[in-house]
Amino acid sequence: MLSIDVTRELAHFTLDVQVNCPYTVTAVFGPSGSGKTSLLNLVAGLLRPDHGTVSIDGDALFSAKHGIDLPPERRRVGYVFQDDLLFPHLTVRQNLRYGYDLLPSGARRFAVDRIVDLLELGPLLERRPGLLSGGERQRVALGRAILASPRLLLMDEPLASLDQGLKDRIIPYLRHIRSDLAIPMLYVSHSVAEILQLTGQVIVLRQGHVLACGDFFDIAQRSDVLPLMEAHGFENVLAVDIVANDPAQGVTRIRYRDRELKVPLCDRPPGSRVFIGIRANDIILCREQPEGLSVRNAIEGRILDLSTVGGKQLIYVDVGKRLAVEITPEAVAELGFQAGDPVVCLVKTHSIRVGPDVE
Amino acid sequence: MLAAEEWEVLELSLRVAMCCVVISLPLGVSLGWLLARAEFRGKVLLDGLCHLPLVLPPVVTGYVLLLLFGRRGLLGGVLERTLGLQLAFNWKGAVLASAVVGFPLMLRAIRLAIESVDPRLERVARTLGAGPVYAFCTVTLRLAAPGLIVGALLSFARSLGEFGATIAFVSNIQGETRTIPSAIFTYLNQPGGEAPAARLVVISVLLSLAAMVASETVSQRLRRP
Repeated sequence: MLSIDVTRELAHFTLDVQVNCPYTVTAVFGPSGSGKTSLLNLVAGLLRPDHGTVSIDGDALFSAKHGIDLPPERRRVGYVFQDDLLFPHLTVRQNLRYGYDLLPSGARRFAVDRIVDLLELGPLLERRPGLLSGGERQRVALGRAILASPRLLLMDEPLASLDQGLKDRIIPYLRHIRSDLAIPMLYVSHSVAEILQLTGQVIVLRQGHVLACGDFFDIAQRSDVLPLMEAHGFENVLAVDIVANDPAQGVTRIRYRDRELKVPLCDRPPGSRVFIGIRANDIILCREQPEGLSVRNAIEGRILDLSTVGGKQLIYVDVGKRLAVEITPEAVAELGFQAGDPVVCLVKTHSIRVGPDVE
Repeated sequence: MLAAEEWEVLELSLRVAMCCVVISLPLGVSLGWLLARAEFRGKVLLDGLCHLPLVLPPVVTGYVLLLLFGRRGLLGGVLERTLGLQLAFNWKGAVLASAVVGFPLMLRAIRLAIESVDPRLERVARTLGAGPVYAFCTVTLRLAAPGLIVGALLSFARSLGEFGATIAFVSNIQGETRTIPSAIFTYLNQPGGEAPAARLVVISVLLSLAAMVASETVSQRLRRP
């Protein structure tokens, strides 16, 4: 189990974090500049805490009291960055083997071939990183970190620079790493749909402090956590029923209450219940059902409340569940939205992310 | 083709230039790294000091070296007593003179090369289990290699052409400190010296060209994706 109890003075605030992460995957969420990356750097040994301890399964990586501060190379903590940061002068094979070859053979937990198969890197082995696509590069970065046999993997928004289609293709690999290889992970992300496919355990950071920690669906209800998540790109989550898959058109039809919506094709059996995620800034508000518009996904609701969180204007709409919609202050002023108004929420099919099954 | 005296000049010039590169390179890499990556007080001063030989007249550099490393100089006496190393009026002094004059060129190339390497790559290497020195050598130094080669070439070529500092510090002694430029200068002041001077000029052009082509080839191979 990863235990963190550290303080560190940063440029704009003090990072002060006490958490235990007993689950395989713990997601870290917070607005930009809330200290997420600094927290990972403290665990990796790239940033030195002022006080406190960091330990994995009781072994101290850092302890101010006992004067322990293992350098990064002795922590066995893998780190996957948002940019893949592959070594440009080495082939994919050499990249993968960089950490592996530095380990004594007894300490190697995974065979190179196994990881190459798991991440489907076989055809890429002799290529240089410059000739790979974004998704391929990120898979190589994952493989490279895993082959160093880490006791913990730190993931700093590893999918953020990839487009939607690529994200969906990499998530299954992450699930393999979690389930088959059993490497604990600390996973920074902004996407609920992404996180929920890996874990339900979330740490929410704000201004360097842990605002909440625990099961996503418990803490997401809290009035101090929810607005923060909504304002910073965390998605609205709705439970929906799969109606039918339509591969010819590349969509899956789903039902939310009495409304039928189209989402990107997801290959789940009709009748199953899944979560979908919609970002607050991907929703368009209309006063009435529009005509002559290409957007087909419309959900009717009623405005509950208007608020400003962190400089962003949010409108909460009751669609059977509270939906956060981000619009510009100008639009609010111009259209005169007020609590109680009936509205229609429009969402493009490809702005909807299909998440995990409802369990 | 060449007279014995001219061979001697050529051999000495190459020896001086190679030694110059060999002694400059470790210092160039250390200072290049320091200036590219470290933040410390007096960085600007150090940077200026390293670049001083670029803007000083070489004769001034040579004279300062003579004051410092001459037999009665501040450091010259110490070096001779402790290491038995004599620099003034000696080919080793010619190495020092050309190393000092060529150093800013080398340093600039190495510093730029190190600056162009993403520092996070080295951090990734550390999290993969590499110690600081191994990570530096296999990542930063390897990626900066084309710059190191260019730096070495510039230092080599500058050394082959060094005249002012050399003649002020170690004079123009046949068989000891008479390198190609000093020899050409000497021949031109002798009656009938045009022919040997011309031969040395051709050699000096060819040498510089060869060094340039070799370094370009090597650095292109290293840069290949």
